[in-house]
Amino acid sequence: MKVSYRWVRDVAPGIGLAPADAVERLALRGAPVEEVVDLAHGLEDVVVGRVIETAPHPNADRLTLCRVAGPGGEVPVVCGAPDVREGGYYPFAPVGAVLPGGFAIGRRRIRGERSEGMLCSERELGLGEDHAGIMLLKGRYEPGEPFAAAAGLDDVRFDVEVTPNRGDLLSHVGVARELHPEGQGGIALPALPGTASVPAPSFARGTSESGSAGVRIAIRNPALCPRYLGAVIRGVAVGPSPRWLAGRLRAAGARPVNNVVDATNYVMLELGQPLHAFDLAKLAGSTIVVGPARSGESLLALDGGELSLTPEMLTIRDAERPVAVAGVIGGRDSGVTGESADILLECALFEPRQVRATRRALGMSTDASHRFERGVDPAAMETAVTRAAALIAAVAGGAPEGEVIDVHPAPWEAPAVTLRPSRVRRLLGVDFAADEIAGLLAPLGYAATRREPDELEVVVPGHRARDTLREVDLVEEVARTHGYDAFPEVMSPYRPGTVPDHPLFRLEDGLRAALAAAGISEAQTPALGPARHGDVPLRNPMSRDEGYLRRDRLPGLLAHVERNMARGVRDVRLFEIGTAFAPVAGAPPRESSRVAAVLTGRRSPPHWSVPAEPFDVHDIAGVLELVAAEAHPGARVVPAGQGAAPAPYAAGRCYELVTGAGEAVGWGGEVDPGAVDLPPWAGAVVGAEVVLPSLPAAKPEVIARELPDHPASERDLAFLVPRRVAVGDLLDAARKAAGKLLEAVEVFDLYRGDDLPAGTRSVALRLRFRARGRTLTDREVDKACRRVIGRVKEETGVEPRV
Amino acid sequence: MIEDLRRLEEDALAAIAAAADPGELERLRVRYLGRREGLVSAALRRLGRLSPEERPAAGAAANRAKAAVAGALKDRLAELEAASAPARDEADLTLPARAAWRGTIHPVSRVIDDVWAIFRSLGFTRARGPEADTEWYNFVALNTPLDHPAADEQDTLYLGPGLLLRSHTSPVQIRTMERYPPPIRIIAPGMVYRRDAYDATHTPAFAQIEGLVVDEGVTFVDLKATLAEFARRFWGPGTRVRFRPSFFPFTEPSAEVDVKRVIAREDGGGEETGWIEIMGAGMVDPAVLDNVGYDSERYTGWAFGMGPARVALLRHGVRDLRLFYENDMRFLGQFA
Repeated sequence: MKVSYRWVRDVAPGIGLAPADAVERLALRGAPVEEVVDLAHGLEDVVVGRVIETAPHPNADRLTLCRVAGPGGEVPVVCGAPDVREGGYYPFAPVGAVLPGGFAIGRRRIRGERSEGMLCSERELGLGEDHAGIMLLKGRYEPGEPFAAAAGLDDVRFDVEVTPNRGDLLSHVGVARELHPEGQGGIALPALPGTASVPAPSFARGTSESGSAGVRIAIRNPALCPRYLGAVIRGVAVGPSPRWLAGRLRAAGARPVNNVVDATNYVMLELGQPLHAFDLAKLAGSTIVVGPARSGESLLALDGGELSLTPEMLTIRDAERPVAVAGVIGGRDSGVTGESADILLECALFEPRQVRATRRALGMSTDASHRFERGVDPAAMETAVTRAAALIAAVAGGAPEGEVIDVHPAPWEAPAVTLRPSRVRRLLGVDFAADEIAGLLAPLGYAATRREPDELEVVVPGHRARDTLREVDLVEEVARTHGYDAFPEVMSPYRPGTVPDHPLFRLEDGLRAALAAAGISEAQTPALGPARHGDVPLRNPMSRDEGYLRRDRLPGLLAHVERNMARGVRDVRLFEIGTAFAPVAGAPPRESSRVAAVLTGRRSPPHWSVPAEPFDVHDIAGVLELVAAEAHPGARVVPAGQGAAPAPYAAGRCYELVTGAGEAVGWGGEVDPGAVDLPPWAGAVVGAEVVLPSLPAAKPEVIARELPDHPASERDLAFLVPRRVAVGDLLDAARKAAGKLLEAVEVFDLYRGDDLPAGTRSVALRLRFRARGRTLTDREVDKACRRVIGRVKEETGVEPRV
Repeated sequence: MIEDLRRLEEDALAAIAAAADPGELERLRVRYLGRREGLVSAALRRLGRLSPEERPAAGAAANRAKAAVAGALKDRLAELEAASAPARDEADLTLPARAAWRGTIHPVSRVIDDVWAIFRSLGFTRARGPEADTEWYNFVALNTPLDHPAADEQDTLYLGPGLLLRSHTSPVQIRTMERYPPPIRIIAPGMVYRRDAYDATHTPAFAQIEGLVVDEGVTFVDLKATLAEFARRFWGPGTRVRFRPSFFPFTEPSAEVDVKRVIAREDGGGEETGWIEIMGAGMVDPAVLDNVGYDSERYTGWAFGMGPARVALLRHGVRDLRLFYENDMRFLGQFA
């Protein structure tokens, strides 16, 4: 909500705050100011100029020669705007002026013609984006007078952030109520210029219909339109608004249109009541009916849009057709134009949910719908219609005719809410006496009366009738008026909660620490991806690339490998913990927390002492083992069966992580080069993804083993292993054969060379034997080694190297 | 005799001290201690010719001399061996260190960790809930009717009729209270989703941290005290904290929490920032307690929600939120 601070002070004389203090107070009252604009800033040198005469530029088609009356008499000005008019008043920057952007005006010759100043557009003055034409000032001015004051811009504009519950703040009166020391009591609407001679109206009241001055108004849906006021004003002359009115609107960020429309906008901005002016001559049968649209009807709206109406929408209709969508927008055919002479002024109340549903269905939001959705003060309607009718008469001529038609199916009654001081204390933690509470509520317009020792009856004012209908709503008003800063900060003793710390968080923390310690950096990617990465579609995605929930996390990480490499970063080590989604018919998707990791580039930072080695599948097997130790104790990393590599892994280079129960809970391996889009210099990318248990069990306690008390014996055995034999089988056979004296077996050398028979490699095992309580004899160890050799040959056909 | 032995010992020790290599020492050993020709050995043999009165003193002196020479030989040999050990390469300590890759924890996770550490010390535990949820949990149970303008504040991503991606972590409030009785004292970090395009301050998916306290006797004073304590622990002891009225459908009274930080200057002084909005908070609306079957007359509570990514922006001087989600190694690597 953009407000003119001068206007705010006009409706509540007695606000003495400097603008900065007003901003602070509004922030502490729940209406923070997002932007403060000194409207005159940079406009000190700009004056009002009057174009006395115009002539075509002899040397340029698009330029006009003007004689402009300014501060120092008449000067020649070359103007590039297509619409400059003789007799018009414009913002004028004379020679020597500096415009808001820092542009200095000098004496110039433009295509051979002298130009001593510039007629300005809104954009050149920093007032708006409109630079198509220069800014015509409607009304009468003194050539040479300061522009800012003439245009109503010697003012400060606040852009107030209004929360959805505070419809009352969508008006200058509402903002003034928060700023005046007496609140509501400080509001005193000033008489508007020229309205003193307009007599106060009387009202022609009816519960379902009524009429006056030849116009009849009926409400068919009282639940959706609790009140409709209509005032007839005949004999207006539509034209530009007087400068005070145009200036006010401009200061509040609104664009002047014409005197009639400006008058309705003025009262809306002042009181928050949306108003609409119909051209009475265009209303068939001089009739207004508030009722539902009929199927297939449409309306050409004021903004030029063609609206398709449905019977769920409430319309304002004349005898034949819809002329407005209730509370949203008026129709162009019945709107005020330069030819309009007789006006029907609408001041109505519409049910918020109805307005909201309608404007959403139409895909639009207007100043009117915005206010109706948030609640308009039902108690201020008569003031609004009276003030607007008088203002139209004052600025557009003409006179109200007959009585104000008032169709009011059920008179509004101020709601009363019970408020217990004990409840205030229990919620706020501070003891307020009943009359203290009444005193805090009074400036906001609430009337509180004590009914019982612990009970106040609070009558709610119209401007808060939508959002303060419960006791707790009033407790908030007490806190707000008392001032949040005035509450002490004393922490209460607390009892431990009943909710256990969710173990998945602990697991995730452990994984983060372990993976970072392993040199991998944590990434965060959204769970949204393209169709090929997910099975759960969004109904209203922002883009096709983010139209699905991801079924796996690794593809998202791979996209970030691509992005890093596209920027020339070759060493990429990323992991991520996030959610993956699987579809479930007719229910929310099934979610699982996943950890994914990718490695590519050099296995360690470059150093002169070691040659650079790239990551390979054995590194990702290590990552899988690391994750398994945290997330799935007892699970094993095993090669995936032939042809069983799931996307995006390369066949034959893929592992599975298998739990003791035989369930595959993770995969890892070399990413198929076809699955990533990488530059030619990129090496292998290895990746892995593991499903985390949704409710991880605590890791089993470590039961410590005693340290060995006797020395070990080591034996090295080398085998010539053909490609078809897996080293894992060799190790299994060795372990089984060596028996329980074997403490550890390690592959300490793997050699491939031309000196070996084709298709073989030399695999060297180091076996460490140890017995508890005694030193092993050479005979025992040699015997165990012979068993190993025999078993390996039996199971794999492999012979030891001699 | 004793005098001879003393002179012999002196000569021997001097010769041993002057010996330059193990070979010479070996010759000296033979010369003095050799079983047959050795001078000390010869002196010992001569003991037999002495009178019984002289023998004990001379014998002791001879043995002493033998032990002294043997000890000196051994020490000098060790000295020579130590001196002649091959010299090791000198290490050039200015060469670059041999390091391992350092992995980093994402700056947003670090904020969540630090927030958790503080709330943990204040007696909180962590709760979680699904990211895909229903309108009931995301809006209705949180006192946000779908036909109220408050439902516009968050443009929600929908999966199907009544099914959506949660637009805030507040549904965890409902799920936690449905499952556990009071007292409740939790935080709930998690991802949330909004229909926002990427820009300097928005992403469609981002983390949020919810907090909820419900018990008898929980008040606005307690809310202020706890959140101000959190803010001072997180942002530093000089931090000023301000509570402003605001609006959330599921809390009343509602507040925005602002902090004014003190940024240390080089000269040791400090400089205050402007007010920075860090979280929304408020007393749990009784309608929310009613919706989960709590007795809203007996129990009161407070809740808060904060965006750790925004905090990370402020903390690290990052101007554009997108940097956090581009996952450029050169950016992430800075958080080691």
